[in-house]
Amino acid sequence: MFAAAAESGIRLSLSWVDYVMIIVYFAVVIGIGFMARLRVRTSMDFFLSGRSMPAWITGLAFVSANLGATEILGMAANGAQIGMSTLHYYLIGAVPAMVFLGLVMMPFYYGSKVRSVPEFMLRRFGKAPHIVNAIAFAVSNVLIAGINLYAMAIVIEAMLGWPEWLAIIVSAGFVLVYITLGGLSSAIYNEVMQFFVIIAGLIPLTIVGLHRVGGWSGLTTAISKTQGAQQLSTWAGTAIGHTTNPIGANWLAIVLGLGFVLSFGYWTTNFTEVQRAFSAKNMSAARRTPLIAAFPKLFIPFIVVIPGLIAAAAVGNQFADKNSGLTYNDAIPKLIQMYLPNGVLGVAVTGLLASFMAGMAANVSSFNTVFTYDIWQRYIKRDKPDVHYLRVGRWVTIIGVLIGIATAFLAAQAQNIMTYMQTLFSFFNAPLFAVFILGLLWKRMTTQAALWSYLAGIAAPTAVWIAYLVNPKLFATGTAETLYGAIISFVTVIVLGVLISFVSKPKPVSELSGLVYGVGTIDLTKDNVATDTAWYRSPALLGTIALVLCVVLYLPFV
Amino acid sequence: MSESTNPNPQQGGKLTEEEKAAYVRSTRRFDLRRILGALFLLYGIIVLITGLVDPAADTKPTGGIAINLWTGIAMIIVGALFWVWDLAAPVPEEDIIGVLEREEEERAEGEGHIPGI
Repeated sequence: MFAAAAESGIRLSLSWVDYVMIIVYFAVVIGIGFMARLRVRTSMDFFLSGRSMPAWITGLAFVSANLGATEILGMAANGAQIGMSTLHYYLIGAVPAMVFLGLVMMPFYYGSKVRSVPEFMLRRFGKAPHIVNAIAFAVSNVLIAGINLYAMAIVIEAMLGWPEWLAIIVSAGFVLVYITLGGLSSAIYNEVMQFFVIIAGLIPLTIVGLHRVGGWSGLTTAISKTQGAQQLSTWAGTAIGHTTNPIGANWLAIVLGLGFVLSFGYWTTNFTEVQRAFSAKNMSAARRTPLIAAFPKLFIPFIVVIPGLIAAAAVGNQFADKNSGLTYNDAIPKLIQMYLPNGVLGVAVTGLLASFMAGMAANVSSFNTVFTYDIWQRYIKRDKPDVHYLRVGRWVTIIGVLIGIATAFLAAQAQNIMTYMQTLFSFFNAPLFAVFILGLLWKRMTTQAALWSYLAGIAAPTAVWIAYLVNPKLFATGTAETLYGAIISFVTVIVLGVLISFVSKPKPVSELSGLVYGVGTIDLTKDNVATDTAWYRSPALLGTIALVLCVVLYLPFV
Repeated sequence: MSESTNPNPQQGGKLTEEEKAAYVRSTRRFDLRRILGALFLLYGIIVLITGLVDPAADTKPTGGIAINLWTGIAMIIVGALFWVWDLAAPVPEEDIIGVLEREEEERAEGEGHIPGI
């Protein structure tokens, strides 16, 4: 009985060759930590890599910081469950948002020399909204780190057979060591390495998987037969008033909710992401960071979502069967187990482990920055020498990881809370994005307006979510609920922001130079070096090509 | 400190040419592209050998594709490309030295005094 259960799970049989590759990888990770340690002389080196990184590194780190356990396993699960509609997360969501960040928002962020996203809030609006933003970010991020850690422990337990507590302690230990040593540089270098290794694991998996299900035509035939043809299209069944698509939302909700509000909110205001661009060496490199990231992001669905579909075709009956012990989240580990021989197996497992760890490290490295600069330096110990903040940063890293471990054990107690917490945290980005957009475009927006509309923008989607918990008939799917919740949050902020601005006192225009569109000028080229002016490095050109590719990649799956 | 060729000088600004050259060398030695190149070469060789040693185990789960061979070869090529890229376009010297010379500015920024604004 038990043996049968183990075989039908996702336990992998690694050989010593595979373990050698895993061990080599993590030895290199620690080595990079020590190497980066030599270069940390100031707190800016620790928190923002001394603003010295070239664009290709920050760009790949930008896309990779998001390529954690929840992204790879979650998007493959979406592929298995809702099919090609998962492309929306990339083509209407992430990529346009990255282009918007690079072309429109980055000049304000990088040009104002802020060291974190909450600090931009401080410069534009003042202390009250800054405190709310900094605390919300610090608390939610350390909790997300713990949830990531727990998600990773479950998968490691299932794949390698380590007990959860051991997986939690070992992974957290690695992250703790290399971030405490080298700060953001360690995190970024490892993100870039992880990016290439996970790709080297997922490409063979996709090729073998497609081969095993009879090529692309075999895959589409199998999917049409079992799950239905709607799984292979993206926009079919999204008409308003007649939504039959697997997401359960019409095209307007998909474009506005998933695309404009949730994705733009996540990619442009989540400091975990934006921090990578802040570490770039100049304005040109900072603007190109999300644009360079957009290109791998365009093609990642083909090695994440397609394997999800392959898994649905190959073992979809087991996902649907509640007694099989297999869930949609197991799509990629299950394919790895079925299709990869020892050797490539080691590469794929190394890539997965690395991506899990990098996801958590990204949370920790942005948490320590916001805590040190935005909370400690601003409100607790002002005007200390720089070395004080460097030391605080290292201690905060340790404390952050320890809280993360504690959260992971808490999450282990209450499993079903996890998805809800992810949903809830995604609401923090939507209102923040709305506040920033209004504040960037409209110099009349006041501090009071920012504070109260931001708080209302957090409260409104929380209320919608609670209503959905009480009455699940309100929305077709959980995803549809988050889309509408995000739209409601955005509208709440805009309406309240405008109304309150008219009855409160705006900041003098002289304090808004470089922080609001049309007030003062931002010199986009003053810190250029010779190589930045090459035509193929033009942000406008890169952004345009990325958007054209978004449309082109939709075409086969309309 | 200023007479030695310490590759990690603690004082920005007043550096000898020798110190600058040592710093440039030590930075380039640990260029991420070299590390990635080495990692991919090593992985490629391991995977390729695994495929060569036991071809039957290689093709059994994949339904006929010798995935270890192909992946091994591809990873070796990618590893070599990282090294070629590193040789063809090393990090510009002024970028490496620029970081050192900005130390005072960085310290001020870390303390919350934003220079130039």
